[in-house]
Amino acid sequence: MRTWSRRVTVFTSVLTAGAVLAACGAGGRPDDSEGGSADVVGVTEDSIKIGAHFPLTGVAAPGYSEIPSGHKAYYEYVNANGGIHGRKIEFVVRDDAYNPTQTSQVTNELVLSDEIFAMVGGLGTPTHSAVVDFLNGEKVPDLFVSSGSLQWGDDVESKPYTFGWQPDYETEGKIVGQWVKQNMPDARVGLFLQDDDFGEDGEKGLRQYLDKQIVATERYTSGNTDVAPQIAALQAADVDVVLGFNTPSYTALTQLTAKKLNFDPKWFYSNVGSDPELVGSLLARFSEGAVKDGSSLLDGVLTTEYIPGVDTPDDPWMELWQQVWDEHGGDAKLTNYRVYGMSQAYTFVQALQAAGPNPTREGIVEAIEQAGTEFDGPALAPFRYSGDSHMGISGLRVSELKDGKADPLTPVLVTDIGDTPITEDNSGAGNDSPPEDGIPDPIS
Amino acid sequence: MQQFLTTALNGLTQGMIFAAFALALVLIWRSTRIVNFAQAPMAMITVYVALVIIDAGYSYWLGFAAALLSGLLLGAVVERVAIRPVEDKPHINAVILTLGLFIVLHALAAVIFGSRYRSFPAPFGLSGFKVGDMNIALTGFGVFSILAVLAVMLLLVLLFRFTNVGLMMRASAFNQEVARLLGVRVTRMLTQGWALAAMVGSLSGLLIAGGNLVHPAYMDSVVVFGFVAAVLGGLDSPIGAVVGGLILGLSLSFVSGYIGSEVVALAALVILMVVLLLRPGGLFSHAPARRV
Repeated sequence: MRTWSRRVTVFTSVLTAGAVLAACGAGGRPDDSEGGSADVVGVTEDSIKIGAHFPLTGVAAPGYSEIPSGHKAYYEYVNANGGIHGRKIEFVVRDDAYNPTQTSQVTNELVLSDEIFAMVGGLGTPTHSAVVDFLNGEKVPDLFVSSGSLQWGDDVESKPYTFGWQPDYETEGKIVGQWVKQNMPDARVGLFLQDDDFGEDGEKGLRQYLDKQIVATERYTSGNTDVAPQIAALQAADVDVVLGFNTPSYTALTQLTAKKLNFDPKWFYSNVGSDPELVGSLLARFSEGAVKDGSSLLDGVLTTEYIPGVDTPDDPWMELWQQVWDEHGGDAKLTNYRVYGMSQAYTFVQALQAAGPNPTREGIVEAIEQAGTEFDGPALAPFRYSGDSHMGISGLRVSELKDGKADPLTPVLVTDIGDTPITEDNSGAGNDSPPEDGIPDPIS
Repeated sequence: MQQFLTTALNGLTQGMIFAAFALALVLIWRSTRIVNFAQAPMAMITVYVALVIIDAGYSYWLGFAAALLSGLLLGAVVERVAIRPVEDKPHINAVILTLGLFIVLHALAAVIFGSRYRSFPAPFGLSGFKVGDMNIALTGFGVFSILAVLAVMLLLVLLFRFTNVGLMMRASAFNQEVARLLGVRVTRMLTQGWALAAMVGSLSGLLIAGGNLVHPAYMDSVVVFGFVAAVLGGLDSPIGAVVGGLILGLSLSFVSGYIGSEVVALAALVILMVVLLLRPGGLFSHAPARRV
């Protein structure tokens, strides 16, 4: 009996002490109840915390792990210039190693323990698919997914908080398909596709225009680096042009394999797989063999573009990115992946501006739906954001690589998923330049 | 016909690469009776050593030699530092330890060398030969790989069958206590076994890397297929490892080319299951006649 009462005493005293401490805490932090954003997770008077999952280790890390460094550099640039509405942006990156199980785990940490305001730029189709329902269930804005899968934007009702960013693969497939149909009407077309949403969505777009011309479809599994059997099958089908929806390392692998097989068709690589800087540097090494120069090996390769990249250093946007990178990026070189990250970060800052001085989770989603089509940014074509669609950039242009530079073959073409026709973009999105201070102005 | 030939030749070179890796596994199994899961990252580290040397402007062959040498060293060091403390414990302890090493070496390589893709040069041409209209999908480097693997296999057979050292290595792996009683310096044999196996591992790493892209995880798929090849051949037999590698390489190449690359991993599993059902010890196993 005595021990019991002693326990009660201890228990109550702990409880009392806890209550007193809690009361002190509440009294000691008056900021929380002021400023109108007290209840918004991740937002304080002078900071806003966002986060994302990226593969920093593992097979997908090469290249992709550079994207968050672009984000960080741009946020630091914004913070150094006073932040947005007086708030500094804090960007938390967690490593999921491109493994969906880990994506779920790190997203839980980001949302529940880091308490981020929004997810910005989470990378990968298989990885992000694993967490998109959780984020929408928790009503966490899931902005600008780093993937061109259709699912981020084509079903607003079931995923009201998720937004795509880059042109979706179907749109890219349609524009490429039309170009091939118009310019190579008699060519036998072969497809080389990654065996997931990436290849599937791309194929859907391509087949709208090329269904009759496609004579062979080969798929590769990411991770299996032996593509000779696939390339041999394309060669056997006697194709004149190969359209590839694959990642950059597979661009290099297909080129090397084709050399081995003495197979010389016209090559097209989707934007994801064509980074001439990266692929060129991968192939340049093989000059000890028969290839003289890596970038010249890619001469004549067709691809698409939707933001300016490191091959156009004089573009006003690239000048801004270079300045940001020099000031906040560290010693490493500016790459197209970092440019991608900064371009995405720019869109987020725009969205934050549009959400006003007291951002809320619902508020920023509404702001993007309302003002998203007017966001001026590095993108060559406007965004498609609205109450009905959360699809990202609406188009791109077809280019040909020459000496490691992309030479435009078409004006910027825009379309949408489904049977929306392809038209020339007349919004002027490709000709704008960044504001003087490099930080987007609030949209009035 | 062209497609068939290309797919077959590609399977042949792939199979030889699996075989090279399987040989390293066989070697360590024969000399220490454990399976070394850290074989691939150890080889990967030495390939990066070669890359650093080649990048500094030295010749390919200097890098090649340096990789083999650092493999030899790394194997010995790993055995002395990491494996020695658990050597008299059950074998499973050492095996788990190699799994841990796998992770540590991976992370270390990413920290030191970065995780981006880098291209690794090849000393010979990378274009296929042409005979009339037929294209022979074998490159100079592919031929070199095949010859190198066959040579290593031959050397291993000679080592284990005809030399004293080979006999002592087998003895100390088989029964340490008895070997010690017979005057074999068991610990030295174990270190030698690790060092040699790591060197063969480096060679397989170099053969895979030549004319290809490397990054810290570039050998991971080879771990799986090389392991399957070694088990196919019976883990104990160098010839079995090469035959296992060839069977696997050819079948996977045909599966990938004529059925689809998505079933490649499944096909490897099916082959492994069928072989183990028919011959539980692997294709080249000896009947365990005197097991009591």
